[in-house]
Amino acid sequence: MTTRNLYRQAPWLVITGVIVLLASLFVTFPAVAKPPMQQTEQYCLTCHGDSTLSMTLKSGETLSLYVSQDQLDHSVHSNKGIECEACHNDISTYPHPELKYETKRELSLNYYKTCEKCHSDNYAKTQDSMHAQVASEGNTESPVCTDCHGHHDTRKPNEPRTLVSETCSKCHVEIVDAYKQSVHGAALIADGNPDVPVCTDCHGVHNIQDPRTVQFRMDSPELCAGCHADKKLMDKYGLSSDVYSIYKRSWHGVDISVYKARWGAVWHDSAVCTDCHGVHDMKKASDPTSKVNPKNLLSTCQKCHPTAGPNWTDAWTGHNEISLARTPTLFYVDKFYTSFTPFILWICIIYVLLQIIHSIVDRVRSTLS
Amino acid sequence: MSGKKPINSAIARQERTFTRFMLGQRWEHAILILSSFVLLITGLPQKYRGMSWSQDLLSTPERVEFIRQVHHIAAIVLALEAIYHLGRAIYLMARRKMSADMFPNMQDIYDAWHMLQYLFFLRRDKPVYGRYNFEQKVTYWFLFFGFALMGISGFIIWFPVQFTQFLPGGVVPASKMAHSTEAVVAAIFIVIWHFYHVHIERLNLSIFTGRLSEDEMKKFHGREYERVTGQPASKLDEEK
Repeated sequence: MTTRNLYRQAPWLVITGVIVLLASLFVTFPAVAKPPMQQTEQYCLTCHGDSTLSMTLKSGETLSLYVSQDQLDHSVHSNKGIECEACHNDISTYPHPELKYETKRELSLNYYKTCEKCHSDNYAKTQDSMHAQVASEGNTESPVCTDCHGHHDTRKPNEPRTLVSETCSKCHVEIVDAYKQSVHGAALIADGNPDVPVCTDCHGVHNIQDPRTVQFRMDSPELCAGCHADKKLMDKYGLSSDVYSIYKRSWHGVDISVYKARWGAVWHDSAVCTDCHGVHDMKKASDPTSKVNPKNLLSTCQKCHPTAGPNWTDAWTGHNEISLARTPTLFYVDKFYTSFTPFILWICIIYVLLQIIHSIVDRVRSTLS
Repeated sequence: MSGKKPINSAIARQERTFTRFMLGQRWEHAILILSSFVLLITGLPQKYRGMSWSQDLLSTPERVEFIRQVHHIAAIVLALEAIYHLGRAIYLMARRKMSADMFPNMQDIYDAWHMLQYLFFLRRDKPVYGRYNFEQKVTYWFLFFGFALMGISGFIIWFPVQFTQFLPGGVVPASKMAHSTEAVVAAIFIVIWHFYHVHIERLNLSIFTGRLSEDEMKKFHGREYERVTGQPASKLDEEK
């Protein structure tokens, strides 16, 4: 009986089963929100969590072997579940193989290469950088990945943005000090301004090039124009976005653009933005310490035009369109050539045309008569 | 015949000729043409530095320097010529020997009005001109002031630092614009006005030969012909 009942119920069972199976296709389990489990971190920290753990290298330097939980908690890697041995790939268990590096620097210069495994693009870019070039010339202090990004506490490098200049200031102290005094640096530090450039915005991030080259100089006006020709951005701060286009029409700008177009490898002294405004310490023109403040403008001009007198600064029309108030002489010359001269030339043209018409009519008449 | 001889002693060989320009004036014109032409062809590539044709011509920084030097040398030549021209005029004026022929006068207004009527077919006869007609005076004075402007602005942008020791700085960008624009204006003017009147309307080579034929004198400078010869230039009027 029961089996017969079961047979009777079988179609329903099958249908129910199929529905349950189909429905299960639409059921997904929520993604794991918690950090992935670290398999080895706690295991390693049983020894390396001891703050006194250290060893002496052949050079005599003491190498601390302590890795704090706090460092790891702030690391982007640890929180993503990336294990110790991802970087320490020569170590799989205890006892560890013998450490073959004689100095701490040698250790860093070898360990950072493991970054390439995951960050191959950025790693390759650093190989084209000024830093890599200096390193290849034998400077062991030239920074590698970990010098800027840290090792056990690798954080997002631009959070907060001030971190970027702090990172660079580890070596470039004076330059970052000058930058902090600049209109850009001051706004960054005081207000955390998201628009002002930090070091890397102008110099690049991983493939940082030598800024003293001809090419960097020739490209630098466009670098500044990246923001200063952006109308939306400049309007936000009440600045003119025409500074670059007017510069390009100026004597300096035309000169530089010709050199850039044709003689890119030839150093040329015609002024680029930074020659007048300063390299890292550019300030508002209204700031009395600015190189382009009216009080200081003459001495800025005299860097290239040493014999220039006090009237000279008025020869510079600034980054301004022609206007009666600012450049009256130029204004009237412009008016003369845009209204009076074309008027005279048109009279001449019309007069000559009338003469031509008359002489044609005369010829036709004399032929017909 | 020598250009220095008085006008009314023109020697008739087969055809009687009249001295129009003296040898010095012909030389002045030759220097003017040559230096202006050199200035124009060395100036335009500098004016249009941003254009690729200019960059093709001035393909090395040394060439830019070279073309500037040529421009400056031609400028000095033209400046010397201008000083000579003005100096001579001042000398002649001081000795009350300056001819008034080239100065504009009321007759030019009447002639221009007359010519305008002729061009609109309101009159059948052309004006009877003196030694220089108003078209020629327009050429002279247009270029007189044009070259003055070119010279002053040119030296200012050649020596901007020195000039701003005593001139306001604003003259430098103003001179740059004036020099660059006036050059093109003058070139357009010469091509339209001067070339038409001396090459196309009729080929007038008197600035090179120094002479005008009797026919040319009668036809184009009737009043001057009457003044010089005392005879009426009416033969042409009869033709009309």
